[in-house]
Amino acid sequence: MKDIKKIEIIQRPPPPEPARRTNPLARVFDELVRFCQSRSMFMLHYCTGCGAIELPPAMTSRFDMERLGIQPMVTPRQADILLVTGYVSVKTLKRIILTYEQMPSPKYVIGICSCTVNGGMYWQSYATAKVLKDYIPVDVYIAGCMPRPEAVISGLRALMEDIRTGRGDAWKKYYQNYDFYLGNQQRLFGEKWQTPTDVIAEAHHYGMMTDQTLGEHTDLLEQNEVPLDALRTRLKARTE
Amino acid sequence: MRPENYQAVNHPPSNEYELNFGPNHPGIEGNYAFKVKLNGDRVLEARADGGYLHRGFEKLMEGRLWIQNIALVPRICVPDPVPMEVCYALAIEELCGLEVPERAQWIRVMQLEMSRVAAHLFAFGGHAATTGMYTPMFWGIADRDLILDRFEELTGGRVYHIYNIPGGVRRDLPEGYLGRLSGLLDYLESRLPDYDNLFFTNQVFVRRARDVGTMTQAQALKWGVTGPNLRATGLALDVRRDDPYLVYGRLEFDVPTEAGGDALARNLVRRSELQQSIHILRQVIDRLPEIDGPIRCPIPNPLAWNVPAGEAYTRVESSKGELAYYVVSTGGGKPYRVHVRGPSSMHAVQVLERLAVGSRLEDIAQIMFSLDACPPEVDR
Repeated sequence: MKDIKKIEIIQRPPPPEPARRTNPLARVFDELVRFCQSRSMFMLHYCTGCGAIELPPAMTSRFDMERLGIQPMVTPRQADILLVTGYVSVKTLKRIILTYEQMPSPKYVIGICSCTVNGGMYWQSYATAKVLKDYIPVDVYIAGCMPRPEAVISGLRALMEDIRTGRGDAWKKYYQNYDFYLGNQQRLFGEKWQTPTDVIAEAHHYGMMTDQTLGEHTDLLEQNEVPLDALRTRLKARTE
Repeated sequence: MRPENYQAVNHPPSNEYELNFGPNHPGIEGNYAFKVKLNGDRVLEARADGGYLHRGFEKLMEGRLWIQNIALVPRICVPDPVPMEVCYALAIEELCGLEVPERAQWIRVMQLEMSRVAAHLFAFGGHAATTGMYTPMFWGIADRDLILDRFEELTGGRVYHIYNIPGGVRRDLPEGYLGRLSGLLDYLESRLPDYDNLFFTNQVFVRRARDVGTMTQAQALKWGVTGPNLRATGLALDVRRDDPYLVYGRLEFDVPTEAGGDALARNLVRRSELQQSIHILRQVIDRLPEIDGPIRCPIPNPLAWNVPAGEAYTRVESSKGELAYYVVSTGGGKPYRVHVRGPSSMHAVQVLERLAVGSRLEDIAQIMFSLDACPPEVDR
């Protein structure tokens, strides 16, 4: 029993400071923009799982999310935050990815409940996707089954702080590592999986192309690319 | 300027079109969807599109110990979890022939009624929001939170309690608990006239909800409707009164009915049930201090518990309707088969598909909330 090794506690390295512009006036402007962004967030109104039951108390008069500048929004085109509340079944995950790609950048994802972290109660279920961050990048996780409204609000405050300091940039990872995310999605949904949004063109637009953006999985995307073909044939059949 | 590959799409000459209603839609309760065929805003056909919340509960339960499943069952219906626990525990007790102590039975009844009040407050709050009235929603959810506080004090959990185990309950009541519960009931009762003014007799709501999603008594019986939705068609059918479980046979309560069968009648039944539940809770508060004794009977080591072989079918009245468990044991440490008969699988699929036909698009949300369907229980 002599050589018991001391367990080293692995300290998480502090996140790197975000790159700043050199012009001092531009820097002040950037900070102002980020401050405003962090104080006015629209949260997509999509209840994906059982954690959604703690959102009404958090939104209404008792805990009142609105004092932080957070409001529900019904359409993904105008939303900033996607809350994934609880377990995601494979069928829901498709909708989550479609919704996520429709949201305008910068966009943020919060995984609520243990099920989004590692599968939670349903670790052995055949119908759920276990780890959410394999499919879309996640900014903040809130663990618990289910987390209290206080925990939800604390997680949202952590996200606000990340946005204010410029560290909340998980959405860039989706463009930078699109091949990785697409590969995981294809493993689950089959090789013919594709979404209507052209993520690669968006990555070009934002200037976020890296070595990992394109790869074997995105090649597959180009092979199978037949958008709207199914719709066209169906409409043709109906008119004839 | 049009892109090079632009092709005009020739629409078929008709006013009919298909619309995907949900799952990402504020008018849908939970994660659920409809494929609706419309002419203008009249619904011609509605197809339920569930499965977004499927986790395979009945399969998962076959792979876990009897006692582990207690943590799994409340997840089936999130807004009203207590009847799930109690019904599953009742099934195991029937298989093992366990005698539940009287005090535990009274505590279970107390929780069941608290859960019913919380679920009804949530349900009519949701319905109010679909008709554009947000104040009742805020009030209902704020008052429901007070009940969750009492649940938290009793069980340690706000939403999922995992408090009813086979053989009884896990802990006894904290000191002074019944006094605080009584104070909460006084408060809730004083709120009822306010709710009436704001919502149940408010003409904005009454005119909007009357004759929406009407079903007759014969239709309701044919489609397997239970609970408040069936009582809204005029038939007083309640498991608590017709097939008493626990100590419901010794309690006094009415089974409120309405004749209309529409969204308005369903809400009025829920409003009367709020009052009845408060009445039952008052009787429990009066009689619980006199009943001493243990809160659970001795059970074998739960980690090596072989439940005797056999079948059991138990049913309780949840806030959504009749809830039943069919449990089969082959004498092993895990269930051989568990089937959940949830009320919402009828309400959200076959009833809603039929009631939506002929109504207007904006009324689908109202019909769904007035039926108080619970999507996680539909998909399981």
